[in-house]
Amino acid sequence: MDVIIPVDLWGEDGDAVIATWLFQSGELVSPGAVLAEVMYEKASMEVTSPGAGRLTILVEAESPVRQGQLIGRIET
Amino acid sequence: MTATATATATAAPTRRLTIAKAMSEAIGLSMDADPKVIVLGEDIGALGGVFGTTQGLLERFGAARVRDTPISETAFIGAAVGLAAAGMRPIVELMFVDFFGVCMDAIYNLAAKQSYFSGGHVCCPMVLMTSVGGGYGDAGQHSQCLYATFAHLPGLKVVMPSNAYDAKGLMLSAIADANPVVFMFHKALQGMGWLGTVPGSIVHVPSEMYTVPIGRAATVRPGRDITLVGLGLTVHLALQAATTLAAQGIEAEVIDLRSIAPLDREAIAASVAKTRRLIVVDDDYRSFGVSAEVIAGACEGDVDWLSAPARITHPDVPIPYSPALEHPLLPSAAKIVEASTRLCHDKVE
Amino acid sequence: MPAERDVRLRMYEQMVTSRYFEEAIKLAYLEGKQPLFNMAKGPIPGEMHLSSGQEPCAVGVCAHLRHDDSVTATHRAHHIAIAKGVALNAMTAEIFGKRDGLSGGRGGHMHLFDSAVNFCCSGIVAQGMGPAVGAALAAKLAGSDAVAVSFIGEGAANQGAFHESLNLAAVWKAPVIFVIEDNAWGISVAKRTSTAIARNSDRAAAYGMPGRFVPDNDIDAIYDAAGDAVHRARAGGGPTLIEIETWRLEGHFMGDAEGYRPGGEVADLQARDPLIVYRRRLADAGISVVEFESIERRAGRAVADALEFARKSDYPAVESAFETVFS
Repeated sequence: MDVIIPVDLWGEDGDAVIATWLFQSGELVSPGAVLAEVMYEKASMEVTSPGAGRLTILVEAESPVRQGQLIGRIET
Repeated sequence: MTATATATATAAPTRRLTIAKAMSEAIGLSMDADPKVIVLGEDIGALGGVFGTTQGLLERFGAARVRDTPISETAFIGAAVGLAAAGMRPIVELMFVDFFGVCMDAIYNLAAKQSYFSGGHVCCPMVLMTSVGGGYGDAGQHSQCLYATFAHLPGLKVVMPSNAYDAKGLMLSAIADANPVVFMFHKALQGMGWLGTVPGSIVHVPSEMYTVPIGRAATVRPGRDITLVGLGLTVHLALQAATTLAAQGIEAEVIDLRSIAPLDREAIAASVAKTRRLIVVDDDYRSFGVSAEVIAGACEGDVDWLSAPARITHPDVPIPYSPALEHPLLPSAAKIVEASTRLCHDKVE
Repeated sequence: MPAERDVRLRMYEQMVTSRYFEEAIKLAYLEGKQPLFNMAKGPIPGEMHLSSGQEPCAVGVCAHLRHDDSVTATHRAHHIAIAKGVALNAMTAEIFGKRDGLSGGRGGHMHLFDSAVNFCCSGIVAQGMGPAVGAALAAKLAGSDAVAVSFIGEGAANQGAFHESLNLAAVWKAPVIFVIEDNAWGISVAKRTSTAIARNSDRAAAYGMPGRFVPDNDIDAIYDAAGDAVHRARAGGGPTLIEIETWRLEGHFMGDAEGYRPGGEVADLQARDPLIVYRRRLADAGISVVEFESIERRAGRAVADALEFARKSDYPAVESAFETVFS
């Protein structure tokens, strides 16, 4: 399963940034768990897990991200 | 909680929250369970708290129970005492602890003495939550800790979590408590991206209600050679130092106070009875503070010290603005390693 | 009475200097804070409260002040400091946390002190009001006609210190002017939801002093109202409360997502940018493009020099943190 920044997370065009990953690569996560916090301007938004499995982080914290971008994978 | 977090990392999936989210969740659960719980403070409504302590509460509970206030701390903290006396359970936010100057009368001459003056007939079940700590260049009116300023006053309980699990549990205890509880949260641990966050503060938080008892410290790392006592941010500095020390053959025991008042003297005594060495790490001003109280309390016991207890604190100067001044003055893992090595010199040689 | 031509040009120059200064500070502040905005990072740490849009309040009032008049200001104070004549190089170095700063890097952006021009500011809301009454009384006791001005935001009018200070100033007939910069927002809380009455200037009546309301961020009207108040204070007539409708073009602090602002508000305010409004008004009064360009060039140079001075200055030695705790 792909972990993707939702396309309407902050509405406007422009980059946000991954403020923090709440889990590390290799950890098990459950569906709906908050995986990462993303900041657009100073507003904080959550990226939740699409399913259960083992997380692999593809885009590290403090990196800029766009809406719709793939930032991680979850292997079931 | 670090030990728990590590243990669960490879087992069942966890649910991780920042301290800000854990505080918001605790308040939300209490508001669900008890209509008498209300929140007041500056920017706690639509903004969800400058430090994220009331996220989503206005949307869920409405403006009657989640009340943005004017910049009138004297009035709204006084009002919280009145609400509490009338049977409500107010949670009030003082945005920065440094702002206590404008409203301390309501806190220490009113809230703290309500029960005593009434012979126990009028209680004051309020929570005063407030941000503490520096390290990000906000200078001396927005970076202080002032733990001891509040803990010094009979009638006040003072707590501070180092991680999200304790934040939720302590908040639920504080709301349930019949007494005024000052709930301090450290900006460096809060989970606001714009302030940076120590990763160790983000831990597994069960979604249901649970409490962390007020007045009980936690041993977050066991060790036999030296006791490192910290609170809030300095717990993480001590844990970091302990990892370095372990590589040098020094096993440090790290105690997270969690409660400043009442202080868990038994936990400290039990640890130093074993290690016979003590360092207190406190990012508040040095004199007359938590570090002094912890060391004095330990020395009142019958400990056959291997070396004199020591403390690592911010010195007795206002928190300076420039990073060139502020950063070297604050406690650090390196300072803890250095001091620990000195106290354990017989082991290192 | 409208200001003389040279006074108006000086006020314009201060407004431009303040705006250029904040544009430069804004860029420097963002260094090291991208892509992830983290207050601790970059050459200027901590909170940064910009005053863009509020320049008329500072400039119109301070045009009447001398170096021996005192000013206490708020956490949002760059424009006031510049209008009061605070040394720009040392102020900039302070904001950069450098040795050559006003206080050697101890105070920073919210704690600018320049005793040469009797200026100070504070990060605690309404804190400067009592000290302004004190400065005014000191001048009165010394037989001087110096005055004191306390700048506050509209949020401060709900603090106890506001009401206590107004009463005390009136009782003592202190030569002090309280200036409310009403930008309508206390961080995210709108004035209309936090304040029981529409006009804080009406509160002056409760303390037996004149209250003036100046609408529309109008620098000439501010100059007028302040002129009356300063004249009255110097002549022994006592305190005045002035409320100015102004606007905050930026967030409460840098990085503020401003989700609480109604859509279009900022764009609407930008369309009424007081700098543009005043330039147009001065052009109508016959100021030439050459004169404007000369002023703007001078302002730009002063700001560039200040930034260069601050960047080149060394960081203070750690030991200096232990100095000046006591005098």
